[in-house]
Amino acid sequence: MTDFTIILRSLRVRLFSTLTTIVTVGVAVALILVLLTMRDSAKRAFERGGGDMHLLVSAEASPLSSVLNSIFYANAPRRSLPWARYEKLLTQAPWAYAVPTVTGDSFRGMPVVATTPEMFTQFKPALGEAWTLKEGAFFQGDFEVVVGSTVASQAGLHVGDTIFFTHGVPKDGGPIAGDVIHDHEGHDDHAHDDHAHDDHGHDHAHDDGAAHVHREFGCKVVGILTPTFSPHDRALFTSLNSAWVLHAHDRREKEGVFSQPGATATTTPADLTDADRQITAVYLRLVTREGGAAPANLQQVFSMLRSDPTVMVAQPADEVASLFLIVDNVNRLFLVIAGVVMVASAVSIMLALYNSMEQRRRQIAVMRVLGASAGRIFALVLTESAVIGLCGAAVGAGLAFLGAFAARGILRERLGLVIDPAFGLTTVLAVVLAAVVLACVAGLVPAMAGYRISVARSLKSAA
Amino acid sequence: MGAMHALSVENLTFRYAASGWELEVPALTLAKGEQLLMVSPSGAGKSTLLNVVAGLLDPTSGSVRVADQNFHALRGAARDAFRGRHVGMIFQTFNLLQGFTAAENVMAALLFAGVPEREHRAKAQAVLQRLGITRIDAPVEDMSVGQQQRVAVARAMVCDPVLVLADEPTASLDPTNARAAMDLIQEVCREKHAALLCVSHDPAMASRFERRESLTTEHTENTERTQ
Repeated sequence: MTDFTIILRSLRVRLFSTLTTIVTVGVAVALILVLLTMRDSAKRAFERGGGDMHLLVSAEASPLSSVLNSIFYANAPRRSLPWARYEKLLTQAPWAYAVPTVTGDSFRGMPVVATTPEMFTQFKPALGEAWTLKEGAFFQGDFEVVVGSTVASQAGLHVGDTIFFTHGVPKDGGPIAGDVIHDHEGHDDHAHDDHAHDDHGHDHAHDDGAAHVHREFGCKVVGILTPTFSPHDRALFTSLNSAWVLHAHDRREKEGVFSQPGATATTTPADLTDADRQITAVYLRLVTREGGAAPANLQQVFSMLRSDPTVMVAQPADEVASLFLIVDNVNRLFLVIAGVVMVASAVSIMLALYNSMEQRRRQIAVMRVLGASAGRIFALVLTESAVIGLCGAAVGAGLAFLGAFAARGILRERLGLVIDPAFGLTTVLAVVLAAVVLACVAGLVPAMAGYRISVARSLKSAA
Repeated sequence: MGAMHALSVENLTFRYAASGWELEVPALTLAKGEQLLMVSPSGAGKSTLLNVVAGLLDPTSGSVRVADQNFHALRGAARDAFRGRHVGMIFQTFNLLQGFTAAENVMAALLFAGVPEREHRAKAQAVLQRLGITRIDAPVEDMSVGQQQRVAVARAMVCDPVLVLADEPTASLDPTNARAAMDLIQEVCREKHAALLCVSHDPAMASRFERRESLTTEHTENTERTQ
């Protein structure tokens, strides 16, 4: 028999109290771990989104909404820029790249980004990290699509599959029957869907106004990207024409072009007008020395572009920093709350042990009679407290692991933030150590009570 | 060590400061293996005497020697360890550790007496079996009153104490169990050559002891001594 046997038996005798105290500590530890981990991961995710671009030009109302909508795909941009403005932009500064994007359409609630091949050859989704393909190739022609890693895994897409974009973003963002034809199946995977298609191939399954599936324009999956751990993982990339044609098709339908005699109910890039060629954002990077920091002319170019009231120019790095500042303040508040919960759990350890001292008075007196010194009783109670702290921390780490993955799913679904909780060993060990130290501190009062128990009086009261 | 006393009390006084109540024991000795019954009415200070002898209370004056060691000269952990090794205590309410098995109750005494861990199980098993406990891994709560008393005796005896202090050891038992328990305690003490100081207010115990004394709050006096 060892002192540890005594501690375990003592904890077991008060099983309910022990378990509730462990759970209290566990919840506090889990809360702190999840917040710390998600905070680090969120920061990484935020920082990665903007990649290596210097400036983002759009027609949004504010720089922040511009970054949120065109990089983090929070909402479909409300305003667009004509193609001519993009062409003018190209002449306004020495760009390393100027990648136009059109967002607003979706696939199962995930954003479709119409862009040029430079998106993959020039823009880097994270500093120093180029795009890589898990399967297939980057798109070359129209109605070819490259899908982000999250899209591929969530929708079960493979190279060769044909998918149908939704014009707009349906409110629930869920799968729409008939929006995928898997290559290996060779047929519609919802062949027997009972959704009504109108004369022009639109599926209005979702009664949310503008959003509808363009079944007449199937896009072939040609590539699947490896994870970038950025918001782009939940995006689908296709050519500009692919998006423009969808919109032009709607326009032409409204104009009654298809009801004219001899007209075919289809639209091709040849039918596009200048008004159809709209973009929602441009990713811009100035010519920079290899490995160099932001070029000296960045502020000058930024100011020059800002002088044009028709565009909104944003520096994503600054916007992300200010956005994270807001998020971080909230995080700090949560951390303070978690800290308070942790202290409260330490108090609950103290109360549980202190209250048990009254019941254990006789047991402790007997141990003293058997030869245990007051110091040994003190150490036993303190270790008991530490064991509760350690068990609570272990339970907390387990809960945090599950909680973080649940939070990851929610953030990805609801906010479009791709956050991968990475539990740093140092963080986990630090929190576990803090829980044990706090439990020891909480154990000091009951340990002192155990130390001071009068053996003769306790035995007398027991008789 | 042939003349060694298991217990030697000289000019002992103990006073409760708050009430002024005082216990006086001018002299009390117990030879190794000797058995003494201290009979007196409730409130006469029997339990206080045992607590002072066990080193749980410090005397106001006088000395208590156990195995020729001035017990109260030892402080703190040293006194506790000495008690664990040399003094066994048996209580009226057994005072077994709840939630522990019979073996664990006995092994706890070995643990606190500083006996090496590897010897715990064998020693506990031997003494429990000697006292007729076969289900040594059963929780003590699941045992009968008689079995619990035997576990308490086993715990008091497992370290081969020089002195066993029994505080009303039969007060919680029916006459049959009380008789059996006292038979056992006295028999085991004889086997182990341990001195037994038993306090009781039960006059029926008197016939079991060759040596009997009574205790008053003012002083102790020899009432009967049959050698």
